[in-house]
Amino acid sequence: MTSSDVSAAPAGATATDTTARELSATINGQPVTGRAGESILECARRHGVYIPTLCELADIDHTPGTCRVCLVEIRTKGSSKTHLVTSCTTPMEDGIEIRTRTAALRAMQRLQVELLLADHDQDCATCIRHGKCDLQDVAQFVGLTQNRFFDPARVAARPVDDSSPALIRNMQRCIRCQRCIAICRDGQGVDALIQTGSGLETAVGLRYGLTQKNSACVTCGQCVLVCPTGALGERDETDRALEMMYDPELITVVQFAPAVRVGFGEEFGLPPGTNVEGQIITALRMLGADIVLDTNWGADLVIMEEGTELLHRLKKKQRPTFSSCCPAWINFVERHYPDIIPMLSSTKSPQQCVGTLAKTYLPEKMGIDPKKIRVISVMPCIAKKDEIARRQLSHDGVPEVDVVLSTREFARLLQREHIDLKSLEPSGFDNPYMSEYSGAGAIFGTTGGVMEAAIRTMYFVVNGKELEHVEIEELRGFEGVRTATVALGGEIGDVKIAMCHGLKPTRQIVELVRSGKSDLDFIEIMACPGGCVDGGGTLRSKKAYLPHALKRRETLFGIDRKKAVRQSHRNEQVQALYRDYLGEPDSEKAHHLLHTWYTDRKIEMTQTVREVWADIKMGGKVY
Amino acid sequence: MTEVSYGAWDGVVFDYRDDTSRSAHNAFPVLKNFDEFDDGNRIRAFFGDRGFFIFDPTVSLIDALWRQMVEAADQSCGKCTPCRMGTVLVRDALDALRRGETPPLGLDGIETIADQMTATSMCGLGQTCAKSLLTALRDFRDVIEAEIERGPQPEQHGLAYMTAPCIEACPSRINVPRYIDYIRDGKPEHSLGVILQKYPMAATCGRVCVRFCEMACRRKMVDEAVGIKTLKRYVAEQQTGDNALRFGRELIAQPLGADMRVAVVGAGPAGISCAYHLLLHGYHVDILEAMQEPGGMAAMGIPSYRLPKKVLHAETDIITELGGRFVFNKALGRDYGIDDLFSRGYRAVFLAIGCQQGTRLGVEGEDPLTAGYKSGIAFLLDVHDHVAGTRKVTLYGDVVVVGGGNVAMDCARSALRMGAAKVHLVYRRTREDMPADREEVEAAEKEGVIFHFLTNPVKIVTDDDRITGVAIGAMRQTIADGRGRRGVEPVPDTERVLACTTLIAAIGQQVRAETLRADDRVALDQWNCVKVDPTDLATSRPGVFAGGDCASGPSTLIHAMANGLKAARSIDDWIRKGHVCFQPRSRMRDLLNDNQMLADDAVEVPVKPQYRVHHPELDPEVRKLMFEEVEQTITPEQAYREAKRCMRCYRTYSVITENPIANGA
Repeated sequence: MTSSDVSAAPAGATATDTTARELSATINGQPVTGRAGESILECARRHGVYIPTLCELADIDHTPGTCRVCLVEIRTKGSSKTHLVTSCTTPMEDGIEIRTRTAALRAMQRLQVELLLADHDQDCATCIRHGKCDLQDVAQFVGLTQNRFFDPARVAARPVDDSSPALIRNMQRCIRCQRCIAICRDGQGVDALIQTGSGLETAVGLRYGLTQKNSACVTCGQCVLVCPTGALGERDETDRALEMMYDPELITVVQFAPAVRVGFGEEFGLPPGTNVEGQIITALRMLGADIVLDTNWGADLVIMEEGTELLHRLKKKQRPTFSSCCPAWINFVERHYPDIIPMLSSTKSPQQCVGTLAKTYLPEKMGIDPKKIRVISVMPCIAKKDEIARRQLSHDGVPEVDVVLSTREFARLLQREHIDLKSLEPSGFDNPYMSEYSGAGAIFGTTGGVMEAAIRTMYFVVNGKELEHVEIEELRGFEGVRTATVALGGEIGDVKIAMCHGLKPTRQIVELVRSGKSDLDFIEIMACPGGCVDGGGTLRSKKAYLPHALKRRETLFGIDRKKAVRQSHRNEQVQALYRDYLGEPDSEKAHHLLHTWYTDRKIEMTQTVREVWADIKMGGKVY
Repeated sequence: MTEVSYGAWDGVVFDYRDDTSRSAHNAFPVLKNFDEFDDGNRIRAFFGDRGFFIFDPTVSLIDALWRQMVEAADQSCGKCTPCRMGTVLVRDALDALRRGETPPLGLDGIETIADQMTATSMCGLGQTCAKSLLTALRDFRDVIEAEIERGPQPEQHGLAYMTAPCIEACPSRINVPRYIDYIRDGKPEHSLGVILQKYPMAATCGRVCVRFCEMACRRKMVDEAVGIKTLKRYVAEQQTGDNALRFGRELIAQPLGADMRVAVVGAGPAGISCAYHLLLHGYHVDILEAMQEPGGMAAMGIPSYRLPKKVLHAETDIITELGGRFVFNKALGRDYGIDDLFSRGYRAVFLAIGCQQGTRLGVEGEDPLTAGYKSGIAFLLDVHDHVAGTRKVTLYGDVVVVGGGNVAMDCARSALRMGAAKVHLVYRRTREDMPADREEVEAAEKEGVIFHFLTNPVKIVTDDDRITGVAIGAMRQTIADGRGRRGVEPVPDTERVLACTTLIAAIGQQVRAETLRADDRVALDQWNCVKVDPTDLATSRPGVFAGGDCASGPSTLIHAMANGLKAARSIDDWIRKGHVCFQPRSRMRDLLNDNQMLADDAVEVPVKPQYRVHHPELDPEVRKLMFEEVEQTITPEQAYREAKRCMRCYRTYSVITENPIANGA
C-alpha cells in the first residue's frame, strides 16, 4: 500500500485561516486567551491551571479520552446550560466559560478515579512503579479517601503476560490509556499491540492473540516509557544481580553502556544529561562488582570488526550493509523483514563482544577460572534482555552475558542498597584490558554515533591517515532518516550512508532498500527514537516522552570532545586485544568470537473467518 | 391506542396511576403498534434512552431496568472508565435488588453512578444507557422503594436491543460502530468479520454502497459524516494479501443432509447473499444464473472503474469455497420453470432475478429498435461486454442520457469512456431531487458530463430509422403539496432539440417479461415486480421467496443483500418448520422506526473538527478515458484516524412483555 498526500483534509485551508485567531474565554472566572484548534486542556496548561489527567500524553499528541478524569464544566457562548466535558478532547471556543474546580466536578473526578481502581491491583508496595506512578498522583490530587468498589476477583481476572525475558505486561495495573498502543502504532510503526476484549475484559494484547514472547513485538520498550502506571515494565532482575554480586564464589563482571552514564543522574537529583560515569563505577564497586568494564570499549571493538566487514563488503559491491548493534532492530528484521537478513552486519553488539571476551580473553589474561565469571550489563534497553537469551549467544549452556539490568533496575538496585549516587566520589576504571575507550566508542549511544565512529576508522584504514575533522557535523542531525555521502577516498571512493532512529523511519528505509531503489552502502539503525540515550530501558518520565534526548546527546558529544583518543583503532586496549589474542580484525578467531548469525522468525498468521467470529461479540446474532 | 400508566419521555413526566380519567395536563405522545410485541403477547413496558412508558403498572421497574443495564454492560466497549465499571456496578446492584438482596450500593449510590455514566461517558452507549434509570430514580422512586419492600421481583419477559442511527439506517443492519471500533482497536480482520455476519460482499459494498449509514451519521452535526464506506473498503482488504482472512467449509456449523437443497435463481447480490447464509446454515445451494458469470447487476450494471471485476469475483468465489455451486447460462423462463426446480428436488426457491428490462420514456417517436436507442440497463451490458473484451462497442458524437439515478450516472460516465464527444444528462427534477449519490453526480460533473436539470424529453427525433436528436422541454416546480413535496410540470413553448447519436433511457427497470410464466404461479404486482410479503419475502407460491430488484423494483446493492439474508432466514424456517418464524429483533426495529424513537438530537458540546479522509482518486482528465478503478484504498494510518471520528451513538431499548417472546430474545 502506498501512502499518499490526499489525506490532507479539504478543511486544511480553513484550519490555517483560523489558527491566527485568538479566542477570549474564562477559566474559573479569569480571562484567558485561547487559540483556535487547541483543546481546553492545552489552554489551561498555558495559563498555569492544573487539570488532572491520566490517559492523555501531550508529547505524543495522544488524547484518547478514555480515563474521563480531566473533566471541566463549560458553558458555551450564548448558552444557558452548562456541560461536563473532558478538557483533553474539547476544543476552545470564543466566549466559552470554563470551570475546573467546582464541587460537583471534584466529586466526579474523585468518583472516576475510584471507578478506575475498582479492578486495579492495589498492591502498590509490590509495584515497580510505586512512588513514580501517575495514577497514585491523580488519586492524591482528587483526594481519594475510600475505595468502595474494589474487588480482588476482578483484578485476578485480568491477564498478566510474563512470557518474555524482557517485558512484562501486567493488565492488572492497566488503566486503558492506550498510550502503549499509540506509541507502538503511530510512534514506532510496529503496530504489534491491539485492544482486546470488551467491557471489563478490555485489555491491551498482541496481534493474533500471540504471547509477548512470540509476537510481532520487537521489545524496543517505548511503550514502557509512556505507560503511566506499572502495567508495562521490564522483567526485574535486580535480585539475580544482587545474588551474583553477593556470592563470594563468583567473580562478577559488570559493564555499562555508553548511554547509561548520561541518563542516570536525574534519578538522584542531578541535572538531566550529567555524566555520572565515575559515580557509577564507585557504586558498582560498593555493590560488590569484582571487575568493572566499559561497554564503550566493546563499541570500539565493534568498529574494528564491523568497519572491516563493511570494507570487505564494499569491495565486493555488496550493499547495503545494516548495522547490528541494536537488539530491537535485530528483532524487527527477524520478525518483520527476514528477507534482508543477508544485509545485516554479522558483528555482535558491544554488549555481547564484552560478554564473550569477559569469559575468554579476560580470564586468560587475569588468570582466573572462567567458570566463576558472571557478566552483568547495565543497559538503557530492554531488548538487551532478549539478546542475551538468543541461542546464538550462549555456548554449551553458558550465556555470554548472564544478566541485563535496565537503567531503571540499576537505579532500583542502588535504592535497595541505600546508595545515593549524588553523594558518591567518582572513581575511574582500573581494568587494564577491557575498560579504556575512545571518543568514538562514547558516541555509540546516540543516533549517528555508530556511523561517525565507523567513518573515522574506515577513513584511516583506506587512507592510512586520520580524518582531519573527526566531528562529522553532516551526520549529527536529529531527523528520523538522515542520508549523506562521505568521501572515504582510496579504492572505496564515495560511500552513501544513512542513519535512522525510531522504527517508523526505519521501516521507510527498509522498504526503500527492498524496493531496489536505494543506492545506500551503509545504514545505521537504532530502534529507539534518539538512539540508546532514550532507549526503552532508560528512566521513565511522568507526563513526558523523551524530554532529555538532546541534553544526553550533547553530553556524549562532550565526552568525545574531551578524549585524547577519538578513534576506535587508536584504543590501546583494543590494539592489545588484537596483538595478544585475536590477531587481526575479522581473523578466524575474531570471527568465531565476535560475529553471529540471524534467523527468520517472521510472524505468519492466517486467520479463518471462524476464528474471528468466535472472538466477535455477536450482537444481532446470525449464527 | 395503548394506554400509558406512567412514564417519562424527553424530560416530561406522565403519571396516570391515580387518575383514571386521564385528565392530566401532559398529553402523551402517540404510540403506534405498541399493543402486542408478537402474537397475543402484550407489551407491558418500553424503555429507551429518552425515557420509558409503563403500560401495566404491575411491571417491576427494578427488573426492567436491570435488563436494560445487562445489555449495556454486555455491549460496553470497556475503554472509558464510567461506562466500563458503571454499567457493571449498577447492573449488579439492580440484580441484587431484583433478587430481594441488599446490594452494597443503595439507591443513592446507584443514582450517583448512573449520573456519572450519563454525564461523563465517552460515547453514546454510556451517555444514554442509564437515562431511563435516572428518570425512574428521580421521578418514580416511590415505585422502586415499594418494589424493594415487597422482596424478590416477579419474573418478567422481554427483549433488550442496542442499536445506533447508522445501524438502523442500513438495510442490512450492519453493526457499524462495532466494525469501526475494531479498526480503532487494531483488528481490521474483526471488522471484516462483523460485515461478513451479514453478507459476503464487503469489498463490493465498500466501493459502491449508497451509504444510508453515512446519511444517518451524527458526526455530520460536528463536521462530516464518518467515512463508513471508505473504512469498509479498507477492512475488505483483509481478504487479500499475505495474511488474508480465510473462508472454508469449517464455517458451516451443522451441515445438513443431501436432500436439503435450495435453488437460488440469479447470482446477483441478493442471490449471492441468500446462498451464503443458506450455505452457512448447512444447506446445499445451487445458484442458477442466466449469464456466464456471477455478480448480476454488480457485474453487468456497475462499470469496472467503480468495481473491478476481480474484486467482485473474489467475493462471489466465497460461495464456491463454502460448497455452493454455480450453474451458468441457465435462464428461468427460457431453460426451466419453477415447477422444474421443485421436481428436481429443491426444497425451496429464492428468486433474485433482478429487473433487467428498461422502462420506456413514453414519448413520441420512441421505438427500442431505432438505431441509437438504448435503455440504461442495455447500455451498461454493452459497456460490460466491451470492457470484458467480448464485444467491441464504440460511441461517437453526442450522447443524451435521461434519468437521475445511479444507473443514469453510470451510463453518463461510461459513455464518456466509450468515446462520446459530449454527454448530456437530462433530468426532469432539480439537482437536489436526484436519487443518485451526490459523489457520483460530482464525479460525473468533474469528468465533463453536461447536466440539464428541470428538463424532460418530449420527442425523439429520427432520420432514416436512426436517432439524430431528442426534443427537450423545460419543467418547473409546482407549489408544495400538503406534505411539503413539490412536483414538476412542463413549461409551455420551451421545446428545443438536443442533437445526439445515442439516447440512453435510464429512468427505471422492471422484471423481464418472459422470465416468469403463468404456470410458475408466482404473482406479480402492479409494477410488474414479483409480489412478496415484506416481512418474510414469501411470494404467492409456497416455498418460493423473492428478493432484490425483482421484488422491490430497481434498488440498491445493500438492499438486495439485506433481502438475501432475510430470505435465507425465511427459507430455513420454512424448510425446517413449515412456516416462517417471528423475528424479535426485526419487530423491535419496526417498533423503533414506527415511533421514531431514535431522536434526531443535536450535539451540544464543542467537538474538535476532524475532517474525513477521502479515497485517493485519479485525476478526472486521466480517469475519464479509462475503465480501471478510479478510487484507491486508504492507508492504515488514514483508517485509524478516520475510525477515531466515530462517536458510537449506541442506544439501548427494551420491552417488557406479558409472555416469553417467540423465537428467542
